[in-house]
Amino acid sequence: MSELAHTEHRDYTGAKLGMWFFLFTEILLFGGMFLVYAEFRQVNTAGFHEAGTEMDLFIGALNTVILLTSSLTMALSISAIRKGLKNRSLLLQAITVLLGIAFLVNKYFEWSDHIHKGFYPDSPQLLAKSHGQILFFGLYYVMTGIHALHVIIGVSIITFMFVLTLVGRISGGDYVKLENTGLFWHIVDIIWIYLFPLFYLIT
Amino acid sequence: MVTGWPNLSNPADETFYFILGISLTFLALNTGVMIYFVIRYSKKRHARAEEVRENTPLEIIWTVIPTILVLAIFYVGWKGFVYMRTAPADAMVVRVTARQWSWTFDYANGKETNVLKVPIGKPIKLLITSADVLHSLFIPAYRIKEDAVPGRETHLWFLPNEPGSYDLFCTEYCGVGHADMTTKVEVVPQKDFDAWYAGAAPAQKETPVPEAHERAPKRSARADEGAALLSTKGCLGCHTVDGTPKIGPTFKGLFGKKEAVIHEGKETAAVADEAFIHHKLLEPEDARIKGFPPIMPSQKGVLTDAEIDAIIEYLKTLK
Amino acid sequence: MEASFYHAKTRYPGILGWIFTTDHKRIGLLYLIASLSFFAVGVSLGLTMRLELIRSGMHIISAQTYNAVFTLHGVVMIFLFIIPGIPSSLGNFVMPLQIGARDVAFPKINILSWWLFMIGGACAVTSLFTGGGAPDTGWTFYVPYSIRTGTNISLAVFGVFLIGMSSTLTGMNFLTTIHRLRAPGMTWKRMTLFTWSIYATSWIQLLATPVLAITLLLIIIERFFGVGFFDPAKGGDPILFEHMFWIYSHPAVYIMIVPAMGVVTDIIPVFSRRNIFGYSFIAASSLAIAFVGYLVWGHHMFTSGMSDTARVIFSLLTFIVAVPSGIKVFNWIASLYKGSITVAAPLLFTLGFIFLFSIGGLTGLVQGALATNLHVHGTYFIVAHFHYVMFGGAAMGFFAGLHYWFPKMFGRLYEEHLAKFAWVLLFVGFNMLYFSMFVLGWEGMPRRYYDYLPRFNGPNLISTIGSWVLAAGLIIMFYNLVHSLVAGREAGDNPWKASSLEWQTTSPPPAENFEKVPEVTTGPYHFV
Ligand code: HEA
Ligand code: HEA
Ligand code: CUA
Ligand SMILES: [Cu+2]
Repeated sequence: MSELAHTEHRDYTGAKLGMWFFLFTEILLFGGMFLVYAEFRQVNTAGFHEAGTEMDLFIGALNTVILLTSSLTMALSISAIRKGLKNRSLLLQAITVLLGIAFLVNKYFEWSDHIHKGFYPDSPQLLAKSHGQILFFGLYYVMTGIHALHVIIGVSIITFMFVLTLVGRISGGDYVKLENTGLFWHIVDIIWIYLFPLFYLIT
Repeated sequence: MVTGWPNLSNPADETFYFILGISLTFLALNTGVMIYFVIRYSKKRHARAEEVRENTPLEIIWTVIPTILVLAIFYVGWKGFVYMRTAPADAMVVRVTARQWSWTFDYANGKETNVLKVPIGKPIKLLITSADVLHSLFIPAYRIKEDAVPGRETHLWFLPNEPGSYDLFCTEYCGVGHADMTTKVEVVPQKDFDAWYAGAAPAQKETPVPEAHERAPKRSARADEGAALLSTKGCLGCHTVDGTPKIGPTFKGLFGKKEAVIHEGKETAAVADEAFIHHKLLEPEDARIKGFPPIMPSQKGVLTDAEIDAIIEYLKTLK
Repeated sequence: MEASFYHAKTRYPGILGWIFTTDHKRIGLLYLIASLSFFAVGVSLGLTMRLELIRSGMHIISAQTYNAVFTLHGVVMIFLFIIPGIPSSLGNFVMPLQIGARDVAFPKINILSWWLFMIGGACAVTSLFTGGGAPDTGWTFYVPYSIRTGTNISLAVFGVFLIGMSSTLTGMNFLTTIHRLRAPGMTWKRMTLFTWSIYATSWIQLLATPVLAITLLLIIIERFFGVGFFDPAKGGDPILFEHMFWIYSHPAVYIMIVPAMGVVTDIIPVFSRRNIFGYSFIAASSLAIAFVGYLVWGHHMFTSGMSDTARVIFSLLTFIVAVPSGIKVFNWIASLYKGSITVAAPLLFTLGFIFLFSIGGLTGLVQGALATNLHVHGTYFIVAHFHYVMFGGAAMGFFAGLHYWFPKMFGRLYEEHLAKFAWVLLFVGFNMLYFSMFVLGWEGMPRRYYDYLPRFNGPNLISTIGSWVLAAGLIIMFYNLVHSLVAGREAGDNPWKASSLEWQTTSPPPAENFEKVPEVTTGPYHFV
């Protein structure tokens, strides 16, 4: 902490309130993109429909399951630390990190596959297609890309929390950091729950 | 030449004076009362302050009255707007294309000009679009403007009721030539207009033809076409044909010259031959001529291959 | 008595004790220095533009340079001076003191915000000298031009993105602080109206800035990858960008003005020695502006080609948002009634604020009415409007606050006569400089023109001369303040005999603000 004594005092409600304010801005950030999606889909319904068929529902569904599970393990790790079960919490945090990485690996293969097939922004193959398809793929890369960025940030933070738990800075008596991390992770998860149908289901 | 305002009964002006009246009243009252209080209740004259906390009726009054007034202003503005946006059915339609940095006006009979010529007393409806970035067509005399948006058609109308020559400005920032993207609306009597409209005068007559025209008499028709394109497409906004560099390099002696160019951040040399010029027109950022700002707009979709060839033909004559 | 925070022991020595501090007062001063430095850059650019525009024809700078100059002028003034100006500098310094807190809720995030702000500012300034040349899009970054131009847009936009993040974090921090860290007895209705205005502003920062973030990101993505959201050739829509930009940037104008309104609301009672008139109406109108202000962005797009129905709706909403500002003006004036008034420099700046902001706001009505907007959009009328509200309003409020809290920050008083003299020059110069622009705008002179037709010569000349008078006023004002840092009279703890909490501790305050956390029993404006 700092030179000032007052920073020692802990305000859990305050910390969580701050986190909620922050998450609110995250929702608005993605909200902006959902608006763009809505507008373009409205204008180019047919093109979106056609482009949607290029998506691999299996990978999308698999990633949904992975993220949902990781949200669960995250929540469990918090209730474990609350009960003072340090080792169990560590294990659950590790699983969460691994699941997050698994999600990214999947995403990597999915993107590579599309790029391989010639569907990437400004590719000659894509430019030959209809406006709807160009925009669909544009949105697909931008929205899942920014989401993946959040997953990367989330995984890094959880790893950091893992270390803090290991050295005892997060414990049964002081776990608000882990709780806030959990909140962030849930938001990342929830955003995916919205992305999944928009790109994989509504065709 | 008249540059004044011919159309003073315009709804924009009416709305303006209406708002101005309300605003000046409030401003004068507020400022007057404020200054009066500061003097009347100065410490010298009023040594002990009295407490007046709040007064709900007063608050309601000064919420409700301004609300009514602003709604009235809204209504007046809206009514004028409806008039200003709804072109009469008999309006003459002219299509406008904006591009960096010139205007082209296309008439129903295929006539194409850079100056908007219209007859007196006939409502004119402009259908506006843009070939590249955003622009905005503004005619102060008629209190009217509308953006030119690529990929979209917008519209406005006006009623020219006095002969004269009025300014037409671009009011949406569009790059280095923004301030020079101005032209005129020429309002002429109906019979002059008809004569001009039916006349065989080719479009190019309306625009200043590059000077070199006279000096190079033995020029192919193709080169002539190129010369005309340079002015209708606005190239001469940035380039000259007389040897003085402007925003971009001059065209005089350009063809076949060896230029220092910046290609992918590195400096190299290139000869301005057919292939180079062709490529430069479509992908200007790919090879930028040293010493000039990176602002040349791409002509993709603006010039066809045949037109580019015509321009090159013309450039060859500019020795 | 404890030593002031300037002398408190810090974790790191010297300058490091400042740039890595977590003390809200030091951070406030860091912001103050930074934003005033950026302001100096901005005014120099403004002066350059006025010189170029003194007569028609090209004089000192070329068209391309001029375009870069007004772009940077706008970006610096908006993102680096006026948005962080009041909330991050005065707000950081004063707000925790006013609610009786020892610091903000997240001191480390507070200094992180400052760093993000500085790095963002550095990016914006670096973009001038690197890459394809200085950005030339205007502060609005409209597509498709901003995507096609070869100049260094990406870096500048990224800089603004970081500044946006900084602003969001500050908003989050202040909201939490005001919710959680009020001293015992400090009920919502006992807070100063400055704190209320910071509260409302923080909400706007939280609600609007993320939209800016995503919009700017999309520009960068578009420039690097060409995904096509804004490119009509690929099915994209340039008007969509305008919507996204203004969804942030209209609320942003209230981020600038609401805190300034808060400053003057705190100053008036102190110099008229009586309670503020209509406390709850002023507080509520701040919140009303914050939330209704979120819904009117379309008034910047009345000629953009969006549907006529949308234009009508946005015009109506625009008029609704003007009412709460009016309520404030009336309450301020009523607060002078039956007071015992001393026209000291802070009050003088406040009166100037009310007058100039009213002109700016009332001309906003001309722009908000559809019929007149079709004429004035994109002309110097707009330029005049926003200088009246931003410079005459927000920046005047900022200067008023700077004079008012100067003794609180530094324990010394500025020279009163000099301050008033500077005010006179500022006021006269300001009106010469910007009123001429209303005339020019109504006559049809478009903005962002490096050169104009000779028929616009007259008012332009007056305007340029006005800029020199204004410059003289600014130089005197800052000379006075800087000089008084060392040579000013000792102020004592409470030179204005103000009754709000920040004055109930020593000036400058100790590191922990209060020796003992105060117990609050009255409202903030308790004089008679
Ligand atoms: C501090 C910043 C600030 C503030 C507070 C405002 C306040 C207002 N603005 Fe302004 N505005 C800008 C900064 C600001 N603006 C900027 C930067 C631009 C240009 C951006 C660009 O294009 O680069 C702009 C542009 C702009 C436009 C777009 C013009 C165009 O480009 O076509 C419009 C249109 O409606 C508008 C309207 C208003 C209105 C109605 C208010 C209202 O909130 C004003 C309310 C105040 C009053 C009304 C005065 C006080 C009240 C009284 C004295 C009582 C009497 C009142 C009544 C009768 C109602 N503004
Ligand atoms: C808070 C915001 C703010 C402030 C304070 C100002 C201040 C000034 N602005 Fe403003 N301006 C904007 C925000 C602001 N501006 C914005 C957002 C735009 C739109 C940009 C766009 O279109 O994208 C704009 C555009 C704009 C234009 C229109 C450009 C165009 O459309 O072509 C002009 C033209 O005259 C102008 C002039 C000035 C002047 C003369 C000042 C005066 O304040 C300057 C007065 C000061 C001095 C004359 C110098 C004083 C000197 C010192 C204090 C010491 C100097 C220090 C050193 C030498 C290191 N500005
Ligand atoms: Cu075209 Cu500005
Ligand atoms: Cu606005």
